[in-house]
Amino acid sequence: MDEIFAETKSDPYYFEKRKSSIIIGVNIQKMSKWCFAPFMGCATIEYGYDLMLTDLGNRYAINIGSEKGEELLEKYAKNVTNALARDIQLVGQKKREIMYMSQQKFDFPPELIPELLSKSYEKSAFWENHSEKCLACGSCVLVCPTCYCFDVKDNPDLSLARGERIRTWDGCLLEDFAKIASGENFRATKPTRYRHRYFKKGKYLYDRFGFISCVGCGRCSSNCLPDIANPVSLFNDMYHQIRDKEMLATAATTPEVKIETEGNIDYVPKLATIVKKVPMTANETLFELRLNDGSELGHKPSQFVEISVFGIGEAPISLSSPPTKKGTFELCVRKVGNVTSKLHTLNVGDEVGVRGPFGTGFDADFLKGKDLLFIAGGLGIAPLRSLFNYVLDNRKDYGNVILLYGCKEPRELLFSSELLALKNRTDVEFKNTVNWCPENEEWAGNIGVITTLIPQVDFDPEKTWTIVCGPPVMYKFVIADLKAKKVPDDHIILSLERRMKCGVGKCGHCQINQIYVCKDGPVFNYSKIKGVPEAL
Amino acid sequence: MKKPNINVEVHHVTRVEGHGNIYVNVKDGIIEKCEWNISEAPRFFEAMVAGRNWNELHHITSRICGICSIGHTLASLRATEAAMGIKISDQDLKLRKIALHAENLQSHILHLGFLVLPDLMGVGSVIPLASSNPEEVKTVLQLHRLANEMSNLLCGRTTHPQRLIPGGFSKIPSLKELKELKKKLQDSVPKLQAVAELFKSVAPKLPDFQRETEFIALTKPDEYALYDGDIASSDTGKAPASEYLAFTNEYIVPISTAKRAKHARESYMVGALARLNINFDRLSPLAKKTAGMFGLKPVCHNPFMNNIAQLVEVVHSVEDSIRLIDELEAAGLQSQPDYHQPEITVKAGHGVGAVEVPRGILFHDYTYNQKGVCTKANCVIPTNQNHGNIELDLKALLPQVLDKTEKEIELSLEMLVRAYDPCISCSTHCVRVHFV
Amino acid sequence: MKPKVAFFDFAGCEGDQLQVANLEEELLTLLGQVKVVSFREVMKEHSDNYDIAFIEGSCTRLQDEDRLKQIRKNAKIVVAIGSCATIGGINCIRNYKDLDEVRKTVYGENAKLFDTYAARPIDAVIPVDAYVHGCPIDKDEFLQVVKSLLLGKKPDIPTYPVCVECKKNENVCAFERGQFCVGPVTRAGCNSCCVNEGTVCWGCRGLVDNPNENAQKEVLIKNGLTVDDAIGKFRLYFGWQERKR
Repeated sequence: MDEIFAETKSDPYYFEKRKSSIIIGVNIQKMSKWCFAPFMGCATIEYGYDLMLTDLGNRYAINIGSEKGEELLEKYAKNVTNALARDIQLVGQKKREIMYMSQQKFDFPPELIPELLSKSYEKSAFWENHSEKCLACGSCVLVCPTCYCFDVKDNPDLSLARGERIRTWDGCLLEDFAKIASGENFRATKPTRYRHRYFKKGKYLYDRFGFISCVGCGRCSSNCLPDIANPVSLFNDMYHQIRDKEMLATAATTPEVKIETEGNIDYVPKLATIVKKVPMTANETLFELRLNDGSELGHKPSQFVEISVFGIGEAPISLSSPPTKKGTFELCVRKVGNVTSKLHTLNVGDEVGVRGPFGTGFDADFLKGKDLLFIAGGLGIAPLRSLFNYVLDNRKDYGNVILLYGCKEPRELLFSSELLALKNRTDVEFKNTVNWCPENEEWAGNIGVITTLIPQVDFDPEKTWTIVCGPPVMYKFVIADLKAKKVPDDHIILSLERRMKCGVGKCGHCQINQIYVCKDGPVFNYSKIKGVPEAL
Repeated sequence: MKKPNINVEVHHVTRVEGHGNIYVNVKDGIIEKCEWNISEAPRFFEAMVAGRNWNELHHITSRICGICSIGHTLASLRATEAAMGIKISDQDLKLRKIALHAENLQSHILHLGFLVLPDLMGVGSVIPLASSNPEEVKTVLQLHRLANEMSNLLCGRTTHPQRLIPGGFSKIPSLKELKELKKKLQDSVPKLQAVAELFKSVAPKLPDFQRETEFIALTKPDEYALYDGDIASSDTGKAPASEYLAFTNEYIVPISTAKRAKHARESYMVGALARLNINFDRLSPLAKKTAGMFGLKPVCHNPFMNNIAQLVEVVHSVEDSIRLIDELEAAGLQSQPDYHQPEITVKAGHGVGAVEVPRGILFHDYTYNQKGVCTKANCVIPTNQNHGNIELDLKALLPQVLDKTEKEIELSLEMLVRAYDPCISCSTHCVRVHFV
Repeated sequence: MKPKVAFFDFAGCEGDQLQVANLEEELLTLLGQVKVVSFREVMKEHSDNYDIAFIEGSCTRLQDEDRLKQIRKNAKIVVAIGSCATIGGINCIRNYKDLDEVRKTVYGENAKLFDTYAARPIDAVIPVDAYVHGCPIDKDEFLQVVKSLLLGKKPDIPTYPVCVECKKNENVCAFERGQFCVGPVTRAGCNSCCVNEGTVCWGCRGLVDNPNENAQKEVLIKNGLTVDDAIGKFRLYFGWQERKR
């Protein structure tokens, strides 16, 4: 838990609680029939506690694990004496006995769990069978000692002018865990959510940190009413299904992500004022904001911020202006849920909260000297504009620049005057299209989906990097067409969307496999994620 | 004086629970029509409980009324317990009595403060009173809050109490919590005093109207009966609660979705005034003193004084709750496990539970088969028992106010209805149903 | 300009409106944000000019439909409060019995005077903008919905079951104590209040959006309930929702 909350940016609230907590453990005396802790290496432990008690019948043996523990004993436990050799021996004996108490049995070495999982993602029948009786009640994750996903909500008081922002526990098996304001749910079915829990514990966290995140307590099994949550029976079943077909070897996995801590997370937003508000279409408005303390946001192209409308909540919005624009920054906001709808009713002079910038953003330096092909679908133009305008501001640093933009119909065109002005430039090529044009509107340009534009432009696949951003459904088709043009995998850069809440890879909502979209993305190189299930 | 032509139609009388209409037509001074009519949608509760299990009935019948939930639940539990011979401990008995006091307190304060006081202060609702008389309104709200805290502590919540189950309680308060409650009750006495003074100052607005009426309530020799007792009539005397049908004699009226009742006369009255008239000397000392403030003593035949009787009962409920908590303290509170479920042997049987709820005497009558499934049910609601009396009172009051303006007549008639504190949505359900 | 609110009731026990009255001092604070123009139980005045209508109780007669449609016309926002209004509530138990039989045995030959049809939630008759579930409603949830409406945001009503709240409250699961609970398919938001008081969840807030009813019934039966009783448990509050599914 410490590693998880310290990773990259550490969670100050967690560590505050941690610092002021005292951990007193008791070695297992009786083991429930569901517990399989000995198999997970968690039945006994040598560190991490302040004090550890072992029941020796008529007395407790106390292992001191820290200075805090020692002080505690000195202050409060006056009748404690030094342990005799015999006592120490007994403790060792008790601990050995614990290792044999489990009534559960793995049919294979548990270290193989990540390997088994890596071979089972696609086995939908397996997951459907096991999750058929799932009630989505969340019991398994809520009683789990290693689950930590959380949600954050605004709770205004009756004055409507003040309130609290509260962090509450959340669970990935609950129906709406991966749902975003537009209604899209990235894990909409029971089998996908059910599978996610096992993968998160047994594979994703293992890939990221090097440990299986399950202590074998068995609480999930004992609290699951339809009795489908027992990891032992699930993994045994998985093992038997795979065993005969494939060879298994324990492959050591180096975590893909570096664990370094660079300071604390800021959960408290900064205040910013709206300095300009330009409605662009019926549902999208461009906001220009300035931070009240006068500082620069200091973002990389296409990072995102979490905008707070106090009392309503927070929403992740990509930055639409380049870092070369100083003093203020721009957000193109589509009205789709509570926060964005309320934001649309605010005016110049109103204040909002800003956290961030978050996410990887585009590496503008890396792209220097290369030819660039931007492909934007619908609202995807908003984050791409951040990089695109940066490129224009530093035009001489880049090779050929092409921008392809497709939207549903003419009235949904964003940044229309800006983009139209591009047609007058000779140093960029700009083409746009609409999927269709209603009868009563005029449109002289291309009609057809975005992929119809790709054959219309010339570019050298070896020298060109393509930058793609659009609705989830678009990626598959665009990538197929790019591959057909022989664009190498690592020349394709994508920006993905998920439900992003904390922005710092802690709350669990945006997770795809072992990747946190908010932290490791939302910008990804296609070669890195093409094999990642659920990503595209 | 010109003979008046008056047409008064009060559609959905305000500040009463449920939907009832007053229809008055006077032509040339002759009263052609004076009706009290219930238009509330029938709920068919007896039909709903037939076929359900013994451990569900109290949950369902609680939903007959949101305000007298505790009363309905207790009457229901008593009927089931009577049918199956289930006993409850002395401690549970006391706790249930405190729960009933909490309900009486809550309902009466709500009625007096929110529904009746506006009439006496000449406004349309308690809302303007919040600005004009903030201290008084605050006191009323504080007493109401105390009543709710009491219900929460004893029953889980005021409306649809979860802790009341067959055989006892699923959870009981700790002795510490009861002592804290006692302190709060004791501290509330000055507030009760203030409310009594307030009502004393506006009591002259209550019409001095009399019509000889039969009163029916529960009675016990040694306490002011609310939780249990025999049925008593001011005209005829008493009988065991199981013989209630001989008293209630419900009948259907075509214009009304609620039934009516009669006994020794054309109609009778139940409620606080009936209880006070029959059991006056068993009121607590302070309650008697409060009654004395208004000159209220048995037998009072002025239905408007039902309001004052409620005020007296408020004082009694507070004092009697303190007494019950003292008794629990003295006996020592037996703890019970959380999630307590009493052992029940299910058997066939028939039982009647009679309980006094704020508006009057309530009867639940159940028949079970040997599997513990309800085959027959009957509920007689206090307000049903009052409907006949309300109409006769209206008919008697009308000639006395004919010389006033139409607005004033309307107000007098409405005040009469409100004095009964009718609970109309409870009263629209039904008669004995033979099912299964 | 304070929005104008009005309260209406149909076939119900008025317990939900009582919860609003039970807000005590908070009611006065609430009155600082809204203007109550019609609340029959509490005030004499009535106005047909209101922005938000709170409706309690089920629709149980044809004549109720006209009243509901009129309210929908007058109001910008309609909020259903309490199980009877949001899901049909306890009133739907009788939908499973022959209604003519019910009427006849209740009112005898006068039965034809008493019009009734299958009890239903109000959204079976008019579109509803927000729901406050529960039997009775929880007054804090009521405030939360009102605050959301005043702030112009969609109220945050849970889509997950009561089990989530039970676990957060560290309750001992009903099934572990030999009792039978429908919490796993019931919408949360009540803070598992009934289990907290030592009993079980009866389902008064209605089914979650995608309940696994078969799995839940299996759990009930596996733990010892008869098939008839399991079906009966679902008919207590879910009568209308089940028929719709």
